[in-house]
Amino acid sequence: MPLRLQRRAFLRGTGALLPLPLLNLMERPARAAEAERPPLRFVTLFKPNGVHPPSWNVSGGTENDFRMSPLMKPFERHRDDVLILDNMGDWGFSSHASSTRRFLSGHHENKRSASTDQLIADRIQGDTPHRSLELTTEGLFPNQVGCSYISYDATGAPIPRESDPQLIFDRLFRSPHADPRRRAELTSVLDRVRDDAKSLARRAGSEDRRTLDEYLEVVRTSEKRLANIAATPPRHDLATFERPGSGGTLDDQVEAMLELVELALWTDQTRCITYMLGNSNSRMIFDFLGIREQHHYLSHFFRNFSRSNLESLLKISLWHMEKFDSLLTRLKSRREGDRTLLDNTVVLYGSGMGHSDNHTVTRIPVVLAGGKDHLKTGRYVRYAENQELGRLHLSLLQMFGIDLDSFARSKEPLPGLDGSDYEPYREPAFESWVKVEGNVITVRGRIRMSDDLDEARVFLVDVDDRPPVRVEVGFGDFHRFNLAYHCGTAVTLTGTGDTGDRKVIRKVTKIESLFGKAPGTLNG
Amino acid sequence: MRVLSCLLLLAVVFVGTGRADDAFREVAPLVRKYCVACHEGKDANGGVDLAAVLELDRVDSAWETWESVVDRLESRAMPPADEPQPTDAERKRIVGWYRDLVESVEPRPAVHRPRRLAVHEYRNTLASVLGFDLEVAVIEAEQTLAERSLVVKLMPTDPPGRSGFKNDTHANPLTTVVWDQYNHLAHAGVEELFSPRRRDALEALAGSLDDGLDSAAAARILRTFARRTRRRPVPHEEFDRLVARIDGKQGEALEAALRLELKALLVSSKFVYRGLLVEGEPGARQPVDRYELAERLSYFLWSDMPDERLLDRAASGELGKPEVLRAEIDRMLTDPRARNLAEHLGVEWFSLDEIEHVSNNPPQMLAYKSQPVDFLHHLFTENRPLLELVDANVAFVNPHTRGHYGADAKRMKPYRKQKGIEVEAVPNQRIVLEATTERGGLLTMPGVLAMNKGPIQRGVWILERVLGDELPEPPPDVGQVPGSSPGKKLTFRERFELHRSKPSCAVCHDRIDPLGFAMESYGGRGEFLRGSQNDTTGRLPTGERFDDARGLKRILVTTRREDVIRNVVRRTLSYALCRRLELHDRPTVEAIVKDLNESNGTWRDLFVAVAESVPFQETILSEE
Repeated sequence: MPLRLQRRAFLRGTGALLPLPLLNLMERPARAAEAERPPLRFVTLFKPNGVHPPSWNVSGGTENDFRMSPLMKPFERHRDDVLILDNMGDWGFSSHASSTRRFLSGHHENKRSASTDQLIADRIQGDTPHRSLELTTEGLFPNQVGCSYISYDATGAPIPRESDPQLIFDRLFRSPHADPRRRAELTSVLDRVRDDAKSLARRAGSEDRRTLDEYLEVVRTSEKRLANIAATPPRHDLATFERPGSGGTLDDQVEAMLELVELALWTDQTRCITYMLGNSNSRMIFDFLGIREQHHYLSHFFRNFSRSNLESLLKISLWHMEKFDSLLTRLKSRREGDRTLLDNTVVLYGSGMGHSDNHTVTRIPVVLAGGKDHLKTGRYVRYAENQELGRLHLSLLQMFGIDLDSFARSKEPLPGLDGSDYEPYREPAFESWVKVEGNVITVRGRIRMSDDLDEARVFLVDVDDRPPVRVEVGFGDFHRFNLAYHCGTAVTLTGTGDTGDRKVIRKVTKIESLFGKAPGTLNG
Repeated sequence: MRVLSCLLLLAVVFVGTGRADDAFREVAPLVRKYCVACHEGKDANGGVDLAAVLELDRVDSAWETWESVVDRLESRAMPPADEPQPTDAERKRIVGWYRDLVESVEPRPAVHRPRRLAVHEYRNTLASVLGFDLEVAVIEAEQTLAERSLVVKLMPTDPPGRSGFKNDTHANPLTTVVWDQYNHLAHAGVEELFSPRRRDALEALAGSLDDGLDSAAAARILRTFARRTRRRPVPHEEFDRLVARIDGKQGEALEAALRLELKALLVSSKFVYRGLLVEGEPGARQPVDRYELAERLSYFLWSDMPDERLLDRAASGELGKPEVLRAEIDRMLTDPRARNLAEHLGVEWFSLDEIEHVSNNPPQMLAYKSQPVDFLHHLFTENRPLLELVDANVAFVNPHTRGHYGADAKRMKPYRKQKGIEVEAVPNQRIVLEATTERGGLLTMPGVLAMNKGPIQRGVWILERVLGDELPEPPPDVGQVPGSSPGKKLTFRERFELHRSKPSCAVCHDRIDPLGFAMESYGGRGEFLRGSQNDTTGRLPTGERFDDARGLKRILVTTRREDVIRNVVRRTLSYALCRRLELHDRPTVEAIVKDLNESNGTWRDLFVAVAESVPFQETILSEE
């Protein structure tokens, strides 16, 4: 183990920001005889800019009998391998930056601790060459740097992300340590440049010789390091892996990255990876989908409403879901004994916020997948009231053998993930009704957003055996009463409007949650 | 050892004149008497240890120190007013000794030293060799920042050398970290060269590859590649050695062997260092060889290797002709690569990277930073007079900065943001300044004003970067400027003047403060405070009085123009030579200053004068 320590000290000394493609020269004990069970891995895929809730939410249904929402269609074929959680998040609104911190750190003010993935990486890294990988696709957003990071180190400082698939590929699979061919090539290169420099030195003046001495010293050091690499045969033939191409669309880049995630886990180069498909307030333009507006602009679909804007937004979200599908498909395609790589990997997929226009942070999209020994998948788990992400993180940490009394502000793990009883948190049955007094309408039922894309600003309250009550209000009421917070849950809503057969509330005066808390009003 | 004797010999040329020797014997006790009490040892005031350089054979290496000693004695800034003062005759004797001494110095080149390419030079040169830039795969959405260059991303940032410029890499050693990155970049570059999307670049080296890669094509690639990486022709025996390594191979084996050779060429000492292949007679002073001259020129004006045409001019020997050299300079200044002058000479000289801290919003920050860079590029490449640096009637403005340009911005082409774009970076437009008399020139650009916080930083910046004065470190015990005491309403300027009223403070602050307070009609974001009551009047230590920034600028281009021009010449020569200037460069500087001052010369004239100067054209090769 002392060599590992040396490597870490070295990384710190030379600036940890530097990718060190050739420096993975530390010794690694041969693992040829490892017949034991494959290790458990952890992967996080982060989706930018929240969702359009009616397209994401599972409305109605039960734990084992539910219909996947339109946005879930792209990964519907993995239904038996996913666990969809509903009513996860926090209260109130959130900035992009806070919602990003919360995603793996439990609470946006948990700024002095490592994020969940890093705690897990510490525990499971074993003797893998790379403790963890932190990946992204988009540049840094310096105006609020928090938008660009989900992974934080033990001091709470953001961990630099890598975006370039070629760089990561070379670091994982074409380092002289990993690849004997590259090692041989480098040895020949060193032979040539050494001879070259020596022939120059024969006729050099004193100033030139000083320069050449410095050069030759570095070449010699490099030769020694190469010679020191133990020639242990690698478990996988890395030479057959194809280096990703350069250029291409965003989609090409992301697919290349997902392939690297698959290969890195499969060959046990690392056991912990976080990957941001973009910053949480991503400004990317999806020109390859025929869209010319920035994603962030489109995500404010209430304020910037038009049918075509909304369709563009949904196209982008669908693409994100396709990437989740791609990740699951890739992990399933690799066999490990009688299982798949996915069975031995806990995958966390989601976004920092729910409603992307008013930044509500309740009911954020959270899906778990894989982890056969730890998750009971194929289910839709709806908690009666909003559950802090910190509870989910405590559960995840437990799966990886880390028992903490609390994480962020949460003290109890989240029940129900492994099929355990979550009765106290389960939504009870309730009666729905509608009452009219004068022009005042009061309705109790589950509130949802219209799934008609032409009326993306309209909410509906479902009432048993009656047509739903429509809620058609402006941005002011939408935001003040935080309708998006309540979306998908049972409420009692009062307001004024049309009291005829087709009831429409045009002005909200009061909204109460049947089971959950009132929404927070603080930004966080 | 012979180098040393050769250097000593050169030193003796000037110190050996008995007159200077005798004079120094009279001067040394005076310096000891009036200066050394404060300026001695590790704790010397301002870090200026005069005791250590008070020997005749130390004057050469410490000439910049002596230059400022003489300057301060002459302007009576030193010794401080509360210390014993030398008599006028004594002052004169010290100044006279130094003037006699430096005027006896003959210009000569420095001893040739190879140097490693700076990161930006390496990036540009690698791109010129390969035919494409190595880029990082990352989506640079609006308002995000990402390093696009793989080289810049992977390589440790260069520290500025003793010259203050990053191309002065003499004290920047090759480390294993850098070496690993070189190898990685060579690998990445060659792999990319053989990828289908770089077919054009490969064919530019090989000729048509329609029939695949055969040994003739491989040899052509090898020859061109070797010539580019060496930046001069490849000797026959060397080329034969190279070709022998791929000889007799075919198909995949041939391509693998070729890739290996190309990677080796990209990490060869001949590529990563400049100047290892210089030819000439050891120990002698001589003109640099023609390829070295071409390289000096291209790394000066382009931060890049010579292009084919420049290499041709070098090969034919024509570059040695003054008219050809001038024509090449004119051609090179119109080339897009000349942007590197503003990006490196300009940015490093005026510390413009500091503007990156002015705003966290990249389009806004880039707007502020691109203004001075575009402006300097305009001065450098469009034959503008040197002194337009201080005052000019053009500005480079985009929608993010237009608010600073009042009525003059109305003539800009309208900017329409595309639907669905929130904030975006926009290129600058050149506008003529007529109404906005508070702008014009580098000193009053919003980004430059904003990057220097407060009048003292602004004053120091003007003094050092524009007037070329060198300031020592402030003493460690200066403390904070006290706040307003109750009952008294004092401005910051008044409180600061009380705070720095000690004579030892005045030595520097008499020079700094008038410059900085002249800029007090501009706020912290560089905005003009119209109708502000801030006191912007001042008096320079040399006596000139002014009312505000405009008045100050007028002084800088009239009575103080020689100081400004001298600084311009020194910085530019130092950048071109990639080293700190030495005493033997002083006559070169003075001759160029005199010439440009009298002719009201342009930046192009300056670049020509630098390229034609002794230290640029000649060298002394070290002996074994």
